[in-house]
Amino acid sequence: MFPQLTAILSRIGADYADLRYEVKKETIITFNGRELTQVGTNATDGFVLRVLKQGGFSSVNFTREDQAEAAVRTALENAGLLAGHVSQPVSLASVPALEDAFSPSLPEDPRRVPLEEKLALTRRYNEIPYHSPGIATTQTQYAEIIREKFFVNSEGARIREDLITTRLGGTITSREGTLTQTVRVGGGGSDGFDRLRNQEGEFEKKTKIALDLLRAEPVEAGIYNVILNPDLTGVFTHEAFGHFSEADLIEDAPSMRERLTLGALLGNEKVSITDDPTLPGQLGFYRYDDEGVAVRPTALLRRGVLVGRLHSRRTAAAFGDPVSGHCVAEDYRYAPIIRMGTIYLEPGEKSFQELLFDLQDGLYLVNALGGQTSGENFTFGAEYGYRVRGGRVREMVRDINISGNLYQTLQRITGVGLDLTLSRTGGCGKGQLNVRSCHGGPHVLMEQMVIGGR
Amino acid sequence: MEQLLEQARRVSDQSEVFFQEQRSDSVSFENGLLKNIESRDQSGISLRLIREGRLGFAYTRNLRRPEELVQNTLATLPGGVEARYALPERFSPPDGGAYDSAIENLSNTQMVEEGQRLAAELGGKTAGQVNLLVYRSVTRVRLINSRGSDLDWRTSNYGVHLSLMYPGSYNAVERSWVAKKFEPVPEALPAFLLSLYNRSQTKVRPAGGRMKCLLLPETLYTLVWRIQSAASGKNIFENISPLKDRIGEKIFADNLTLVDDPRNSTRPNARGVDDEGTPCARYPIIEKGVLRNYYYDLNYAEKLGVPPSGHGYRTATWGGDAIATKPRPALEYLGLAPGQQTFDELLRSVDRGVLVAGALGAHSGNIPNGDFSFGLAPGIYLEGGEIRGVLEEAMVAGNIYQVLQNVIDLEDRVHPASEGYYPALFLDDVSVAIG
Repeated sequence: MFPQLTAILSRIGADYADLRYEVKKETIITFNGRELTQVGTNATDGFVLRVLKQGGFSSVNFTREDQAEAAVRTALENAGLLAGHVSQPVSLASVPALEDAFSPSLPEDPRRVPLEEKLALTRRYNEIPYHSPGIATTQTQYAEIIREKFFVNSEGARIREDLITTRLGGTITSREGTLTQTVRVGGGGSDGFDRLRNQEGEFEKKTKIALDLLRAEPVEAGIYNVILNPDLTGVFTHEAFGHFSEADLIEDAPSMRERLTLGALLGNEKVSITDDPTLPGQLGFYRYDDEGVAVRPTALLRRGVLVGRLHSRRTAAAFGDPVSGHCVAEDYRYAPIIRMGTIYLEPGEKSFQELLFDLQDGLYLVNALGGQTSGENFTFGAEYGYRVRGGRVREMVRDINISGNLYQTLQRITGVGLDLTLSRTGGCGKGQLNVRSCHGGPHVLMEQMVIGGR
Repeated sequence: MEQLLEQARRVSDQSEVFFQEQRSDSVSFENGLLKNIESRDQSGISLRLIREGRLGFAYTRNLRRPEELVQNTLATLPGGVEARYALPERFSPPDGGAYDSAIENLSNTQMVEEGQRLAAELGGKTAGQVNLLVYRSVTRVRLINSRGSDLDWRTSNYGVHLSLMYPGSYNAVERSWVAKKFEPVPEALPAFLLSLYNRSQTKVRPAGGRMKCLLLPETLYTLVWRIQSAASGKNIFENISPLKDRIGEKIFADNLTLVDDPRNSTRPNARGVDDEGTPCARYPIIEKGVLRNYYYDLNYAEKLGVPPSGHGYRTATWGGDAIATKPRPALEYLGLAPGQQTFDELLRSVDRGVLVAGALGAHSGNIPNGDFSFGLAPGIYLEGGEIRGVLEEAMVAGNIYQVLQNVIDLEDRVHPASEGYYPALFLDDVSVAIG
């Protein structure tokens, strides 16, 4: 593929150009209820061209090779139009022009597991909840997404990398009268199919929680001290803090950029946060981003002080920071944007029991149900929780949504556990979907959180 | 395409070819300055076939060899996905008027100039940060099937999305303008945003509790999602809808009417068939508070033994890729009927309450149950019919089957918003937590 790509690049008269061709192979098996509704494997492909000319930087996506000439013309026109209007010409941070081919070595490569076996495993997990009366429906999906990427640029980079992501899970819904309760189940990763085996216990545990939730009381709206479990800590770290480490989100927001100056004291000294997509075996693992930059671990918050940011080549140059290798696309349909890889709040020293003792009265919240941020403010849901009284976990509660202000909340993290756990499924939507978005942390104690209740 | 259909027809009982081609350009401005121009030119084709009651489905971006796509589709048959429905017969819908050739003359330079005009107009009258997007797209779809359907339609879209951001955050007041060709954004639109933004600069922290809520059209998707979930033929079939067996019952307040209106040619994307080729038409879901209809694609209509309602769309919860997505029941043309009062009249009638101008995390609640709980981004505090300031941390929460009993009124006009055309919605007695 590289000769065709370099031939297209060679026709472009610009200061810089890169071209990414990608084949995306998806295997999807879906059960809605007990009925199989989708099964199959498909491959699609396409190109993303980016051109920098006289300070104008533009991208064009196209799906057929015969559209390349028109795409080059459009990209040059758009770059010229930008160059004539932007106040700050774009430049790109210098990086070595790398040549490499990398395909992960997996203990059990999902491409070698027959479709029938994937179907049988999905069917078996999907059946587990139905062994218990009170389960209304399930939605269980096996998703295998393989990106075979070919990247070239006008500086001489030639990079081939495969990203192999699997996920097997979904939702379990219980019902009593008109009340339904839904919990998420399952997991996945980027380290092979074996990760998906032997998950019967997880499906059984989540079935019980879906049923228990029918009898749980809705939490009352108000202000609470809370302990978040590692999944919720991870979602907080990703949603509330992580997005504002993405340089493209703050680049053109002067008031946020001013507040997020490196060296600013933002949080309690117990709080340190890092993004490290080089951690082996984790969902967020990759070697090169979609600009051909080798990714590196990036410390973001050290003992409450902002020390780093996630960058593309463009924003690294604009901020005068080092490149980090975090410019990633969903697939061949998109130009890359800055994304978190594996972001986590670093573990502290407290056991879960010690955190409960410190909390005394409040809520223990478990597992995230989505989240969203808009700068200072964030909101995320908890799948379920428990009231805590006298340092002991008591009755289950439901309908929990948490809202907060980033800066205040970073100060209000007053206890950090020692039990770091990283997520096995992702799905960050920042205009594009990132199925490998990985987050985590330990249990943490947060004071004075707004709970929406019901 | 005909060749592909012919090959598929030979090896199946029914077959369908769906082709989509889309060209689009977008111009974005951040902090009032031109930031980015992106162009796309994407096409693809998907094949669905039914043999002995089983479904085959496959797709590609590059149809190099039709027989390869047919083979990939056949390879999915042994999985055993059931398909008992019949694809629609030939039907010729009237031209929806969704394509205006004037869109072809619109250049990216003109879109940059329109963005600059709007950025200057807003920027000169506020200290708020101006972000905006100007875009256009042309989509062509062709859908043919083995029962004689041969549908071919084009749509043109032009749009502008304006937002004024509050300092230190991405909280913003926002509004969109949509059309079938380039049309300058009317003056009233930036004026509305300026009026809201410039009056809500003070940070306030009143007591929370139960109070009135005025939801901007841009936030109504939060409640409508719950109705979409409950009225979906899929959720009726799976027995998880609280609206099951309740057609004809009064569910919400008298002044609530929610209609799917795909043929309304005053709006972009009007059409006479869904993505399966089933005729579609104006379709009330809620009429004066009464539940009128559930909605179905071919598959769930057959399972429930009812006629398909023309709601089979190739979309997913977060958008999705039409080529790669099988049709599912969806409401793509929703609108809430307007009420009696202007927005200003509604605002002036709030003794104490919150203007919900943006919503965060609306997907995290128990959607099938109708529960909602989301952060305000921003929430603007109202007292004595006046804007008093912006809230730093606040959430609203409730259940649609309770709060939509308490609809005081709706705004007297609708606006294009996320997933529909909505007026502002004025509710009484909603739980608001303020931090």
